[in-house]
Amino acid sequence: MMEFQALFEQYRDLITIAVYGTAIALIVIGLYAVLMKKHLVKIVIGLSIMDAGIHLLFVAIGYISGGTAPIFSPGNENAGARMVDPVPQALVLTAIVIGFAVTALALSLVIRLYKHHHTANIDQLNSLKW
Amino acid sequence: MVITPVHYIVAPLIAAFAIPLLIKIHKDAARIVPGIVLFYNVIVSLFLMNHIAEHGMISETLAGWQAPWGINLVVTPFTGFLATMVSILGFIIWLYGYRFKRTLKGGEVKYYEILQMMMIAGSIGIIITGDIFNMFVFIEIVGISAFSLTAFYRSRDGAEAGFKYLLIGGFASAFLLLGILIIYTQTGTLNMAQIAERMPDVPQQMKIVALIFFLVALGIEAEMFPLNGWAPDAYSQAPSPTSATFAAVVSVAGVYALIRVVFTMFDVEGVNNYLMVMGFVTMLIAEIAAISQKDLKRMLAYSSVGQVGLVLIAFGIGSNLAVFGALFLMLNHGVIKSLLFMAGSYFIYNTDDKKIKSLNGIYKKLPIVSFFFALGALAIIGFPPFSGFWSKFYILISAADEKYVFLIIGILLVTIIELTYYLRVVGRIYFAKQEGEPASHKPSINALVAMSSLALFIIVIGVYPDLIMPHIQSAADALLDKSNYIQQILSIKN
Repeated sequence: MMEFQALFEQYRDLITIAVYGTAIALIVIGLYAVLMKKHLVKIVIGLSIMDAGIHLLFVAIGYISGGTAPIFSPGNENAGARMVDPVPQALVLTAIVIGFAVTALALSLVIRLYKHHHTANIDQLNSLKW
Repeated sequence: MVITPVHYIVAPLIAAFAIPLLIKIHKDAARIVPGIVLFYNVIVSLFLMNHIAEHGMISETLAGWQAPWGINLVVTPFTGFLATMVSILGFIIWLYGYRFKRTLKGGEVKYYEILQMMMIAGSIGIIITGDIFNMFVFIEIVGISAFSLTAFYRSRDGAEAGFKYLLIGGFASAFLLLGILIIYTQTGTLNMAQIAERMPDVPQQMKIVALIFFLVALGIEAEMFPLNGWAPDAYSQAPSPTSATFAAVVSVAGVYALIRVVFTMFDVEGVNNYLMVMGFVTMLIAEIAAISQKDLKRMLAYSSVGQVGLVLIAFGIGSNLAVFGALFLMLNHGVIKSLLFMAGSYFIYNTDDKKIKSLNGIYKKLPIVSFFFALGALAIIGFPPFSGFWSKFYILISAADEKYVFLIIGILLVTIIELTYYLRVVGRIYFAKQEGEPASHKPSINALVAMSSLALFIIVIGVYPDLIMPHIQSAADALLDKSNYIQQILSIKN
């Protein structure tokens, strides 16, 4: 455990950049998939990836290095300053559930669209226009 | 206090989970239980309005945590007014749709009724919550119900409209989360009053970035141009009571969320002008698009978007009188557009397609519904002595007070456009040559009661606007008095 802590301290900046960079990269990849891909399932996957990036960003901002779990246990009453922020974690849990529901609904709509149009190419779904 | 704001949310949630069980006992439970719940919400609203008139605003904290830490539900004259309006309109829409799809088998009705109830409950939740993340959750509840209801008819176009709505709604939720993230990192809180209190310390560029995320996300919910591409499709493909709910309930909640964020949370200069310009563009483009529509529900949908644009213009002007006019218009829009969708739905029910041109001479077949449609059309254009006149009148006066000559010209020009396309439909209904056989679907009693109560409201408020104006005035005062809101919420202990 101590070794891990030391290792972590040594590469802290690198890990921070990696976590934030991954989060931003996921959001950008998701945006790219939603905006540029033509296949309906790929669009839904892009939406999921974008959500995952945002969730990672949320968890990352709540973390403090060397922090403990936000639980007040006996003998650990004054640990408040070292605890990671529990609020973003609670938010992410909620957001994951919501994202799951939206993805499930989106996929069921994709199946229905495929049944009606016999294609999953979004360019060919153009019966509704301005 | 016997009744507290949390009843708004708890009652529909319990009912939503109980309906699939109750339907085993009695097969009509899926229709009746949402009505009871929505009626209970009306009682809650009236009780709370009465309570805040005597004792001042209510801030209920949930799960025993005080306001900045826990989630709080806030009923001020402003949120109470909107919640009352939404719950009453929700109940009337339920009454209208009571016999909706009686021919469908039990399962489908169950889904429809549960989703409809959750959409209304979620909209009330958006309005009364005092916590920005809680607002996100309610927006998603409304969103998921609305996506499903848009695709309720298992048709080709229904699925397409539903998917389009879902895709743009997914963007809205992602952007809203990013906005909340930035706000949370900068202020360290999610409570809207505390965010507003700490907002002056936030660096300007962070404020702007967060505000842009919020404007995009909530602009999608509020149907602001250019983020409203989903609206005409969703309105026209959803079942008709749902279209009425979109216009009367969901768009009101969306505009509320936008206004609450812009007016209370942020203190950025110039965002009012942005609202005014975008509202103007929204109104102009939507009304011009409405002229060229051949489908009745699409035309009504574009008209709804145009009305929302006018509401945003009035909020953008920002004076007390303008906010008063905007709230009055939100109320009128909810009532009148519900009436138009309800009446229009019976026209569509009696014709083969949804086109305007097949309404020729339908007056002979459906005299009462035609009368309601004509009444609604005249009221939404702003003819005196109907209620729509007063809201447009006050918005014009407030624009004149602030010397926005172009706004006045634009609003009056758009009124002429509205006149053209509404009276074109009314003219077809009344004066075109009749064809076809007598109506096969007469309006049912409950639908007539629902439509008459809305029509009665339009006429009564048109003649005696003083009945409702004090409530709207106190709502406008409560919205504009930001420091009082912050102070009250952060000091209330219960």
